[in-house]
Amino acid sequence: MQVIQVKCPKCGNPIYSKQKDTVFYCTTCGTMHIRNGGVQVLDVEIGDFNKNAPQDRVYVPFWRMYSTVVINNVRSEGGGFQKLTSWFREGDNSGNLFIWVPASEMEIERFKNMAMDFTLNPPPYNTRMDFGTVPRLPTVMRQEEAKEMADFVVVTIEAEKPGVLQYLDYTLTVHDAKLIYLPFVSTQQGLVPAF
Amino acid sequence: MGIEVGLNCPACSGAIKVVEGETTVNCQYCGSMLFVEGDAGVTTISFKNMITRETAVISSASWWKKGFKARDLKRVGQVTECYPIYIPFWSTTTRVAGWICGYEERTHSDGKRTYTERIPKEELILRDYRFSEIACDPGDLGIRKMRNIDGETALTDFQTIPTFESTTSKDDAFAHAKESAMANARSDAHVPHITFENVHVFPESMSMVYYPIWVVRYTYRDRMYLNTVDGVTGSVLSGRAPGDPLFQSLAVTAGTSIGGLLGATGIIVASSSGEVAIGCFVVGLIIMVGTYLFFRGGSEITEGDFSDRGFKLGDLKNVASQLTQGRVGGNNWGDI
Repeated sequence: MQVIQVKCPKCGNPIYSKQKDTVFYCTTCGTMHIRNGGVQVLDVEIGDFNKNAPQDRVYVPFWRMYSTVVINNVRSEGGGFQKLTSWFREGDNSGNLFIWVPASEMEIERFKNMAMDFTLNPPPYNTRMDFGTVPRLPTVMRQEEAKEMADFVVVTIEAEKPGVLQYLDYTLTVHDAKLIYLPFVSTQQGLVPAF
Repeated sequence: MGIEVGLNCPACSGAIKVVEGETTVNCQYCGSMLFVEGDAGVTTISFKNMITRETAVISSASWWKKGFKARDLKRVGQVTECYPIYIPFWSTTTRVAGWICGYEERTHSDGKRTYTERIPKEELILRDYRFSEIACDPGDLGIRKMRNIDGETALTDFQTIPTFESTTSKDDAFAHAKESAMANARSDAHVPHITFENVHVFPESMSMVYYPIWVVRYTYRDRMYLNTVDGVTGSVLSGRAPGDPLFQSLAVTAGTSIGGLLGATGIIVASSSGEVAIGCFVVGLIIMVGTYLFFRGGSEITEGDFSDRGFKLGDLKNVASQLTQGRVGGNNWGDI
């Protein structure tokens, strides 16, 4: 076992932090990286807060994966349209979409709802260069896990439509994964989007 | 709480504690983010032993009185040994996310004809499953899984009480955790005929939990028996105890009589009501099989995860469940 000081792979400055996180953020140059069998610099976006957002602000990390879905065969009882194929151009059985997967620890039902909501209705947000003084939730989901979760989100979109899903033959290709920090505010009802 | 390894911060040389199994740590002196390279190891937790020898013996004596054990066990049984040991368990939580789709068949009868209804089902599985399995050869202790996960952790007892060595691998435990989570997910989905399944299993980091167990050895009429007591809750976890010949005799007499009577009732009512007749036969058969099991294994009562078989009340439930599966799952006595 060897303990090393984490340094930014881009500018070489040591990274200081008071909270444990699997993603390391360099406050000097803004680079974020992970160490999972090797150093990997992450492609990151930071969303800007709505000007009217209250003060209890926090950034929540999401994996946003640009993906191609090909639906080969769908069978369901009780009819209903296929949600995914309805997105594709008429007559097509494939299309591209951004799949969103929460990357921080959260209650399981909330996790599913956020993944579904953001994938079906991509959140509009402006970007900024840094976090400012706003804290961020630690990232606990690894990129590989997020890709598996993307698969779950695709099936959930098809299953949570009118009718009862009986069979789904599809392929999912994740082209890239980007870590997006979205602005939220803490309320008594939990975290609420603030972009 | 995990075992902490004392090291020095490579930036300021301040003393830091790295919890075994974790890969990041913050230096409390200079605030540097530190990363643990190499074998991340396994988080190790030990539960504090909360009971005394006297409590273990009292708990065992109370267990002797329960069930179909020898009626004079409480009076004749003599504790010869009672000592604590720590047993290692692999422990993890697996998150399961996926869908299981298919259908369930229900057969209905209106007296004249039967028809089968197919009910399509799609079930979302999104939950965490806890998994544990013993990490050593438990011998004849009858313990395979950790029953309790709540308790105070400590390191002091861990060094003073004898400990079983871990003999199984973390990779095997991970594989078993995944298999167990998949099996649990399928069971919870209640989809008898699966046409489509897409389930992902995400195990969290594996922990090694050392759990205190009291081993109580005792004699009954020159024969040796053993039971174990949970060192945290004080309840009996497993054990062997002598059965009672009187209970066996009574069971055979009553079981064969009632089973026979139900069978005869079935024959009598067969011409007027087929369903009642089949019901009588099935219940009679359950009672007869249960009687046989009790007679065969009733000379020794076992509780816990033993590979050989003494008599367990769970046996009766299993027989009843298997015999009535057609009724419960598909309302179809004809399959029995």
